[in-house]
Amino acid sequence: MPVDKDTMIEAIDVNKEYRRSGAIIRALADINLTIKSGEFILVQGPTGCGKSTLLNVLSGIDLPDSGKIIFDGENIARAQEARLSKLRRQKIGFVFQDFNLIPTLTAMENVAALLWPTVLREKEIENRAIAALRDVNLLERKDHYPVELSGGEKQRCGLARAIIHRPRVILADEPTGNLDPESEKQVMDLLKQINKDMETTIIVVTHRGSLASYANKIVKMDKGAIINIQ
Amino acid sequence: MMVLREKKQFTVFCLMYTILIFWTSYSIELVIKTPGLGLASTSFFMALAIGIFLSLLYSWIIVRRNSRTIATLKCIGWTNKDINSLISGFILFTTFVGFFIVIEVLFHYAAFFAYIDPTTPTVPLVSLLPVFVTFIIFLFFQLSAILLANRKILRVRPIIALKRVGV
Repeated sequence: MPVDKDTMIEAIDVNKEYRRSGAIIRALADINLTIKSGEFILVQGPTGCGKSTLLNVLSGIDLPDSGKIIFDGENIARAQEARLSKLRRQKIGFVFQDFNLIPTLTAMENVAALLWPTVLREKEIENRAIAALRDVNLLERKDHYPVELSGGEKQRCGLARAIIHRPRVILADEPTGNLDPESEKQVMDLLKQINKDMETTIIVVTHRGSLASYANKIVKMDKGAIINIQ
Repeated sequence: MMVLREKKQFTVFCLMYTILIFWTSYSIELVIKTPGLGLASTSFFMALAIGIFLSLLYSWIIVRRNSRTIATLKCIGWTNKDINSLISGFILFTTFVGFFIVIEVLFHYAAFFAYIDPTTPTVPLVSLLPVFVTFIIFLFFQLSAILLANRKILRVRPIIALKRVGV
């Protein structure tokens, strides 16, 4: 267990292998990484280097073959699915490259959906969804369906969903991968603002070198291993 | 709410359930009225077979069509239990709507003939008991559909949500 109370996530000797077409692919090789509370981290590397696998393993979406993932003081490497769901609901916000908004729900409902299974009252959930949409400057589009939103607006809606429960960590997998440069700047500026205002730890996986200025730590990966931390 | 917005899927299955519930009720009515009628028994068993098939198909389609949504919900912290409740709601709501449409149609059928000829006592097309029995039968069908959906939901891994669309 980490002794440093500022440590948000710690990966210790993490390994992960995949079997594809009979061949074994080593997605993560002896990963050791410490992420402190409030950091803005960029994970970079070429396609297939294991950066998305690292993100999945850090969030409990995928489990490592060996090693430990200490998330806010708790080893989640062998946790049950129900425990991991609770952890994600309370402490993690996700931002997806393909936005992953539910097409039959409005922007506000998509944001509120995260809190539907909780004990919160409908009005409280609505208020929080409105606040989250206001934070990402999308309140005027709250009643629009995803199909009526632009790429940048969809991602801002995804961002509002990621912050509605005030998570400790936001994990973003290529959040600007499907966006034009202007929308990319908007989304990254918002992530930086959330990092600053809410002291949320942000981990962004990207192959774009142009985003380096947003981070205070850059983790470079290749062939499943961390080759450099700046 | 979500089930109503899946307009095409909801309308098609609701319509099919309505027809099947009516067909099953009518077959039960015939079996009760004319116990020796083999055709009515055959019709009843056919309706049951189609009913169970349709229920399982509906749950399979719901989970398959929404697997990415289910994976996303798992990523953002919904438990399997939460998602099961949502899908069970989809399935049961569609059946209830089908059932109420049948009740409405039968009621209006009786009312129509009572209006046209008030002197003759109206014989309902299907009486209440067969409709009630059919409803119980379909609830059992839906329980098996919910169990199937439950198994399929467990197999949806949250990692699917992170895969690129079309990859």
